[in-house]
Amino acid sequence: MPDESWQPQIVAFVCQWCTYAGADLAGTSRMKYAPNVRIVKLPCSGRIDPLFLVKAFEQGADGVLVSGCHPGNCHYVSGNLLARRRFTVFRELLSFLGLERERLQFSWVSAAEAVKWTEVVDAVTEEIRRLGPRKLGWGETLPSRGSRFQVASSKVEPETRNPKPKTLQAAEESIRRIARQLLEANAVDVVVGYGNGTLSGVTTPVFVTQPDGVEQLVWNERCLNNLSVYLTRDLVKRMGRVGIVAKGCDAKALVALLQETQINRDQLTIIGVPCEGMMQNGRLAVKCVTCDVHTPPIYDHLVKVGVGIEILEIGESGEADPRDAEIAALEALTHQERWAYWQEQFSRCIRCYACRAVCPLCYCDTCIVEQTQPQWIPPAFDAKGNLSWNIVRALHLAGRCIGCDECTRACPANIRLDLINRKLALLISDEYGYRSGYDAGVAPPLTTFRPEDRAEFIR
Amino acid sequence: MARIGVFICHCGENIAGVVDVDAVTQAAARLPGVAHAEHYRYMCSDPGQKLLIEAIKDKHLTGVVVAACSPTMHEMTFRAAAVEGGLNPYLSEMSNIREQCSWVHEDKVAATVKATDLVRLMVEKVKRNHALQPITVPVTKRALVIGGGIAGIQTALDLANGGHEVILVEREPSIGGHMAQLSETFPTLDCSQCILTPRMVQVSRHPNITLLTYSEVEEISGYVGNFKVKIRRKPRYVIEDKCTNCGDCAVVCPQVVPNEFDGGLSWRRAIYIPFPQAVPAVYTLDEESCLGLHPLVCEKCFQACDAEAVDLDMKPEIVEADVGAIVVATGYDLFAAQQARELGWGKFPDVVTGLEFERLLSASGPTSGEVRRPSDGRVPKEVVFIQCVGSRDPEQGVPYCSKICCMYTAKHAMLYKHKVPDGQAYVFYMDIRAGGKGYEEFVNRAVEEDRVLYVRGRVSRIFQENGKLNVWGADTLTGQAVEIAADLVVLATAMVANTGHDVLAQQLRAIVDEHGFYQEAHPKLRPVETLTAGLYLAGAVQAPKDIPETVAQASAAASKVQALFSRDELEREPVVAHVDELTCEGCFDCEKVCPYGAIERKEIRDREGNLLRLVSSVNEGLCEGCGACVVACRNHSIELEGFADDQIYGEIVALWPTTVGLPELVDW
Repeated sequence: MPDESWQPQIVAFVCQWCTYAGADLAGTSRMKYAPNVRIVKLPCSGRIDPLFLVKAFEQGADGVLVSGCHPGNCHYVSGNLLARRRFTVFRELLSFLGLERERLQFSWVSAAEAVKWTEVVDAVTEEIRRLGPRKLGWGETLPSRGSRFQVASSKVEPETRNPKPKTLQAAEESIRRIARQLLEANAVDVVVGYGNGTLSGVTTPVFVTQPDGVEQLVWNERCLNNLSVYLTRDLVKRMGRVGIVAKGCDAKALVALLQETQINRDQLTIIGVPCEGMMQNGRLAVKCVTCDVHTPPIYDHLVKVGVGIEILEIGESGEADPRDAEIAALEALTHQERWAYWQEQFSRCIRCYACRAVCPLCYCDTCIVEQTQPQWIPPAFDAKGNLSWNIVRALHLAGRCIGCDECTRACPANIRLDLINRKLALLISDEYGYRSGYDAGVAPPLTTFRPEDRAEFIR
Repeated sequence: MARIGVFICHCGENIAGVVDVDAVTQAAARLPGVAHAEHYRYMCSDPGQKLLIEAIKDKHLTGVVVAACSPTMHEMTFRAAAVEGGLNPYLSEMSNIREQCSWVHEDKVAATVKATDLVRLMVEKVKRNHALQPITVPVTKRALVIGGGIAGIQTALDLANGGHEVILVEREPSIGGHMAQLSETFPTLDCSQCILTPRMVQVSRHPNITLLTYSEVEEISGYVGNFKVKIRRKPRYVIEDKCTNCGDCAVVCPQVVPNEFDGGLSWRRAIYIPFPQAVPAVYTLDEESCLGLHPLVCEKCFQACDAEAVDLDMKPEIVEADVGAIVVATGYDLFAAQQARELGWGKFPDVVTGLEFERLLSASGPTSGEVRRPSDGRVPKEVVFIQCVGSRDPEQGVPYCSKICCMYTAKHAMLYKHKVPDGQAYVFYMDIRAGGKGYEEFVNRAVEEDRVLYVRGRVSRIFQENGKLNVWGADTLTGQAVEIAADLVVLATAMVANTGHDVLAQQLRAIVDEHGFYQEAHPKLRPVETLTAGLYLAGAVQAPKDIPETVAQASAAASKVQALFSRDELEREPVVAHVDELTCEGCFDCEKVCPYGAIERKEIRDREGNLLRLVSSVNEGLCEGCGACVVACRNHSIELEGFADDQIYGEIVALWPTTVGLPELVDW
């Protein structure tokens, strides 16, 4: 049982029109409620950044309450509806990372609902009081590292498929031919593709500017990496019109970049390559198991391959993702166990930002993590900073991540970023029927809303 | 280096009675950056404000925090004082330690700790405040009044007489509202239409008023001084300017439907005028009752009209207008009497609502003012009036008192007695609430002069027997059961929020209370304003009201609007977003979340004019300062003035540890 004298410290982020005014009315009506909540006033619940909540927890809050106007009553038309989606995702993320759901509370309280405000504050305070102080602090790990909560990825062995050498050979020739034609016709200034690197087992990006250079281009079962990441780099942008060799998954990233106006479709020529899957560490890469874009969703030239490849409808995949079992196993743990698992994972983070560097959608020149005024994310690779960074990384990719798994591949500390990305992608697909990388014409899910979006957790 | 002044208000005993203001002041004085801290009985008083002004000058303060009531009360007061002291108004902030602390907490230690926290939080915020200059915007001196009942009419006339243009929108074919349905009005018993119709005519003739009847507000955007409205004119299939009100069309119309104006107690044609004094005095073809708008189907009205006013091809029309202020005067509805099932409305024809009884009393009503019961047209000799049907009844109806029913029931009983002197009137009541000039006297007159029998108690059941309505009730003063064989029963049904209030309220961005009535900005001090600047309330849209109160509020709303229109330019809060073009990546997620279309795409070009990139840019005139764009921006290239990231950061970080600077007081 928690200590009787212990008082939970709760921060409430509220909008000024509804909840703040409702709290004022409670005061004017001399209603009494628990004194544990400190209000931070904002113009709208749509202004409440998940970073505020992360910072509050990092600082030591036992619980956080977010409250705004009822759906339909937003002073700013739709701020609360955007907030509803954002916090649905945020809440699921923190719960997946092991934070008790009770610590993160949401309510709609109108300017007239003084009674409701007092009830919400009392109920929230009581729930958090019953929970007691956080057992493990923000970023703290259990004394024994690598605990029994380890959900080892090695338990689930993806099947091994034999790549068909003839298919690959045919594709390679086709890529070179198309690249040569494009360069000779001066249709592109550079072709970005795969080349043989100095290390065996991996390919390296090559940037071909002369027709004769196309011989550098290769196509084999090791073309795992996502080259679209280079398209937003200044160096490549300055080279002019780009042709890019893209698998289905890479093309999804191109769709997402188009959606966010990061690349200009007129300046881009996509050499689409049908793909049967790529090898990673001698096995079929995990992302390829459930691939539903064997043929790229967008392309300008499609590489012809002799042997037929099964083309699936978008969204349809024959296999079960082995990671879903891992996610389910994690979710079956208690909050405390899950928290410990992730704290251990994040404790290995050395803040090298390889995950960011390799992500095609992390294109900001000035990342939030490098901003110092204010410094939302502690820069040092200590426990607190690592947790906050990883939360923010996941949030910034929520609804945008196209699942290329490059971050997980690049992570030198083997942090299971793919599990977090996939968890959020599944959530967004379930809740909002949206999957990133298929249609550049629709608004990303966290920039829009539907009036009927569900959010039963909001009081 | 910040030099912040902190001023703790006692608010008499309101704050100091619970919060240890001395301890909070001592704690505040120790906070880094605080150059001055003191407490005073009433900071909002003249000497209180002088303290603040002098301290700013003497101590060279760079910002002030006044810990007192809610900023809704006095933010403006202290901003003005800060200006007098030589500070930018936006360097003044308030900590709400009354409404959100001393008034809601009883534990003095906990309240003091919380007050200290709230002060510390605001000190950290104000350190990061910037001096801001208000944005000036022009004012469109034209008002939109929604609802053409007595409230809307009064507001529109006051404004128009004040020299301002008014657009009056009414969804029904005529203005007049519920007041046009009433027979006489309490407590003077003057005829309702006699006092109302001259005003209706004034509205239609006034050069400053554009009257749009049979119209509804479709869309509203913009902000105070600069609203843009779209009004949908429903097709009435009669050209208003051509109709001569002769009525030839109605005579030939084969479709007969119940007349809503008479509560369904009379009939009208599909092409009709709701009542003879309707304004505008033109006919309306109700397309739902019409046999068919196609000439092949009927077109009798079209042929009968010599003035060629009938236009069966009329289409809905959208009228767009710029207005500077909006007054909502959409009135009320009545509680659906069939929900009180024991009273049998809808089942027994001789159980009527108060409004239906008004029509039976009215000289222009279905019985030409003779009291006759609907079932057989006989003059009722025993009439039972039942008050509080739906009102003060959280189980079946609404918890509040509808305020006017005691008075109009007394009026009904009295008028009945005047028309049927040998009849008997009974009133079942819970309490008599007759607060108002001449009201108590009026009820007494009903009892004493007109011999109306008041029974304190509720009715449990009504059933029909031998052509009579048996009313079973209780007299709670004698404890006896009461049974009356009545000819007619009149239900004083509750006033409830108008249907459709939610749709309009959403468009207006107004807040409605749990019962659907619009929420005023402050229950006592700002009863006609809403929290949306430029939006005002008149009449029963805000709460149940009688006619004098409605007219008073309508005039109050008009004078508020006139005060707004007395200026050529308004100063808007400079709470708007700004883009850092250097770091903006041009993903335009901000554009997608902005509800005002305030984000524009700006081209960044080099010296030769080559397009380098596109970035976001905020149109300050359109930005309302909600901050949705700030959160959508992943690398925080947008900032919202007044609620900037570093200000919020300061507030969050300031909250821990909780007891910084607090003298030995607490142990939590």
